[in-house]
Amino acid sequence: MKRWLIVSALAAASCAMTGAAAKDAKRGGTLVMGQSVATSTFNNAVASGTGVMVPGAQIFASPLMHDDKWNPEPYLAERWEVAKDNLSVTLHLRKDAVFHDGKPITSEDVAFSIITIRDNHPFNTMLKPVDTVDTPDPHTAVIRLKHPHPAILYAMGPPLMPILPKHVYGDGRPIKTHPSNTKDVVGSGPFKLAEFKPGDQLVLERFDKFFIKGRPLLDRIIIKTYPDSQTSLLELEAGRLHMQPFFNRVLEIERAKSNPQLAITSGGYQAIGGINWLLFNNKKKPFDDIRVRQAITHAIDREFIAKALHKGLSKVATGPIHSSFPQYSPDVTRYKFDLKKAEALLDAAGLTKGADGVRLKITCDYYPGDEDGQKRIAEYMKPALKKIGIEVEVRAPADFASWAKRMAQKDFDISMDAAFAWGDPVIGVHRTYLSTNIRPLVFTNNAQYVNPRVDELLAAAEREPDADKRKVLYAEFQKVVTADVPLSWVTELPYHTIYSRRVRNVPVTIWGTASPMLDVALAD
Amino acid sequence: MSAEATVRSEHPTREAARVFMRSPAAVGGLLLLAAILAVALAGPFVLNVDPFDITAAPLTPPWTGDALLGTDQQGRDVLIGLVYGGRATLAVGATAALISILIGIAIGALAGYFGGTIDEMLMRVTEFFQVLPALLFAMVLVTLLSPSLPTVALSIGAVSWTATARLTRAEFLKIKQLDFVAAEHVIGAGRNRIIWKVILPNALPPLIVSATLAIGTAILFEASLSFLGLGDPNRMSWGLMIGSGRSYMLSCWWGVTFPGLMIFLSVLAISLIGDGLNDALNPKLRERR
Repeated sequence: MKRWLIVSALAAASCAMTGAAAKDAKRGGTLVMGQSVATSTFNNAVASGTGVMVPGAQIFASPLMHDDKWNPEPYLAERWEVAKDNLSVTLHLRKDAVFHDGKPITSEDVAFSIITIRDNHPFNTMLKPVDTVDTPDPHTAVIRLKHPHPAILYAMGPPLMPILPKHVYGDGRPIKTHPSNTKDVVGSGPFKLAEFKPGDQLVLERFDKFFIKGRPLLDRIIIKTYPDSQTSLLELEAGRLHMQPFFNRVLEIERAKSNPQLAITSGGYQAIGGINWLLFNNKKKPFDDIRVRQAITHAIDREFIAKALHKGLSKVATGPIHSSFPQYSPDVTRYKFDLKKAEALLDAAGLTKGADGVRLKITCDYYPGDEDGQKRIAEYMKPALKKIGIEVEVRAPADFASWAKRMAQKDFDISMDAAFAWGDPVIGVHRTYLSTNIRPLVFTNNAQYVNPRVDELLAAAEREPDADKRKVLYAEFQKVVTADVPLSWVTELPYHTIYSRRVRNVPVTIWGTASPMLDVALAD
Repeated sequence: MSAEATVRSEHPTREAARVFMRSPAAVGGLLLLAAILAVALAGPFVLNVDPFDITAAPLTPPWTGDALLGTDQQGRDVLIGLVYGGRATLAVGATAALISILIGIAIGALAGYFGGTIDEMLMRVTEFFQVLPALLFAMVLVTLLSPSLPTVALSIGAVSWTATARLTRAEFLKIKQLDFVAAEHVIGAGRNRIIWKVILPNALPPLIVSATLAIGTAILFEASLSFLGLGDPNRMSWGLMIGSGRSYMLSCWWGVTFPGLMIFLSVLAISLIGDGLNDALNPKLRERR
């Protein structure tokens, strides 16, 4: 009863908000949206990345949605219950929902989708505890868990849990290469795929039998790929592009700010939780010495990076969890910019200066593809660490594959790196710190950090159903990890959406444009 | 015989120098290049700073702060970058030109002298390299070898020797039929001597011009590669400045304009010198004056 009240109050509040913001939000119109990474598949059950999740969330509906305050809301599931023992979640599906081919969406499809995602999605911790999915009737699905798994409330959100038609994808062909991932996609969401030119653009059209009446407002969404941010900004300025989400180039954001036709928002990225950091090779001398890691962390002027390099568009990161997450704790070991302390720490670690003032020569890699969040910070390390006698050689990666190989083979001293948290620490944070996740793969625990207490805390937090108790576990995790400093967190990534002032109801829920754009509209 | 040749060759050299010095454009180019070289070679000793140091707030426009020509997106002084960047750029240009000239002369000389099957084979190889898009090929090489100054120089040299090879071959084909070469054959001179000591010195004038212009081309090549992000990120060069400033061009014109201007001036100076040398070393043109 209580939950129902909360849900309906929220629904009323969001209606009121939408109503106020969208007086002239009328039906119709074609929204032209830009993206920086090309879409290679629409099946976000088996792939991650914004190029898949943004269109995927339009084409496929998920059991739940979330508002901008992390509250789960009904979507394909009109109600849901978490069992008292926290070992099952029951979804009560809408009875009027159909796929784009007209066939009804049933619990069989939900069960098929959940098991498919569990077994194929790159985020392998997301649904790992799911044992089976029972389907007592066509509109009820019961997810059985091996142990309590609170993250599932976010794993059931739009970018992560597309409900696929079993009659299309369950035909026995391998799901990762299924032809319907890119052609004749039969979705369950508000938009259907009308046209797809790989590497160029894709056209989504309103699905008229969508189960939420009167939604979506737009007739059509065209998503164009612009790998170069300057081009997309010019297109935005020319009015040919209405919206560009996941924009992280600070100078272009600055320029957009001064354009009266354009607006920017940092809303819509709360659940993305992107942080960049300097990775230390903890298994390699001298980075196995905590004093060396502390010294380097003290020598990085994060305020300079956030205020000057990022023009104040990013925030200093204090630890492993993004500050927009409910599990974030500010009570952590902080490393002030302090060169004297850094030098003292290096002296204590036995790294004394040679006659040329150099203590140590190291290399610094970076993940290619995010100039402001990676390359410029890697280049900043060169003058910054020189001040404490560390000579840095920046190793420019030729492409993503060559950087990924260096990370996988642990062939590095320090490297800039970043990760998205995707809704829950279990999904996107644990992978970087669990000692069991030291694997020859990129975006794993490549610092090779081992702390049994951290493993214990994360294992407990993964299963803790009580949100407050869970927060306490994560608070301790953040304290321990920041004290160990296996990597040095730099900034929260400066993601923004740049949009034309004609766009109404820009998506600002925790998932932003990686959730269905039901209320987005275009004014004249 | 060779003593006599030496005596005779001194004269044209002096004459060529006189013709060269009479051309205002050539002298202007020489002075410009000398000035650029002086700054590039001596500048770092005078300034004695690190061009990668952050000296002021990023993106300070020129003539507003301490940095005369402003600072780039990282807060590095553009003027200091220009002074230090000259060394790397000119060094890459000269090394790459040297590599390309050496490969070109070797292949052209052998093809021209021996003719026949050897010529056929070497010219097919040359054509193979000629039809490859040079910049694309250089990009592949730099990517494979990982970007650094030596690999950039090597890659540029490896893709730009074909014109020199063609020119050398043509000169050899022409000169090998002349009487003094026949005389060398008669007195029993070896192949090595005829190729490198007899024909090559006489083929040099056009090759010198070509080599000079090759330096200019190589500098432009280095800039193009850096523009595409394939420069050495640890050595300041004009190309690197342009490459890293490229994505900030809309808001920070000074980050790319000044190094671009330096590249323009250097290549212009080298071209003027090349032109002057061409006039001075080409007897036909000399007579026309």
